[in-house]
Amino acid sequence: MTSPISTSNVFWTIWLFVHLILALGLLGALTHQAMAVALPVRQPAGGIVSRFRAVSAPSYATAVCVLWVLTFLVGSFIYTSYRINIRIPLEQGHYFKTGGFFDFKEHVATLGLVLLPAYWFFWKNAQNPEYDNARKGVTLVLAVMCWFLFIVGHVLNNTRGFGA
Amino acid sequence: MSTTVTAPLATGATSATGSALAASSKFKAFATTFSITGPVAYCLTVYMNWPVFTYFPATGRFYWGLEGVQPSQGPNMLWYGWTLTTILIAAALGVIAMMLPERVSRKLPLFLVWLFPILSIPFVVYSLMFWWRLAMQE
Repeated sequence: MTSPISTSNVFWTIWLFVHLILALGLLGALTHQAMAVALPVRQPAGGIVSRFRAVSAPSYATAVCVLWVLTFLVGSFIYTSYRINIRIPLEQGHYFKTGGFFDFKEHVATLGLVLLPAYWFFWKNAQNPEYDNARKGVTLVLAVMCWFLFIVGHVLNNTRGFGA
Repeated sequence: MSTTVTAPLATGATSATGSALAASSKFKAFATTFSITGPVAYCLTVYMNWPVFTYFPATGRFYWGLEGVQPSQGPNMLWYGWTLTTILIAAALGVIAMMLPERVSRKLPLFLVWLFPILSIPFVVYSLMFWWRLAMQE
């Protein structure tokens, strides 16, 4: 028979897994886009790296916005459990750098969230050279943010995941 | 003779969609102002500690504004409130930018969209000083 605690663990682990899947999709889409703007391919075909860079970057914009918002919302939901069940044991175990980096992660997630309207607008006007530099800059910033969020989340889960 | 294709394939040489929203100069004013002022508003909100609400996850209770830690309620969470404050401030400034004449809103430097979040990082790291101090004492 399943105890209430293990049921709760399963519940949060499922949400953490949903958060991971959304984050993976976001990471992939943003990395493709960032490569496409940083190292544009001017000749079709080529090897796997060239193909990775040769995606139709504008078509990713809406998906990136939707995935960022969904990942943010699911992460915000999990955060309530983190604050009680993960952060307090982290503090008790003197994992202060880990706790600090998680707080850093939450700030970066919000900073990325507020960039989305301009990011979407720049990509939906990809034919306009006036926005080229701003589009490149904001895409690279979002990609770096996303990698940071992903790595910190991954390390934190290894330190004390919800199954712990 | 060059074998390269002159038009970039991957940098967005063609428009993704012809949506009315993306073509609107009013939306451009809103979106760029929202994204430029968002990181500044967030840093200000965190610095001044202006959450719209405080959440206590142990009891599931919400309070308007800033509510300090209460022993009977467990830890408080301010980040949700800070995020909402930031969105409200940035959206209000975006709406004001929409009302400005296009010749004014066009002058907004677009590089600020990516520069301000980068400049926000040192402040964010500094705002977490209590964590780093505790780590240093180990």
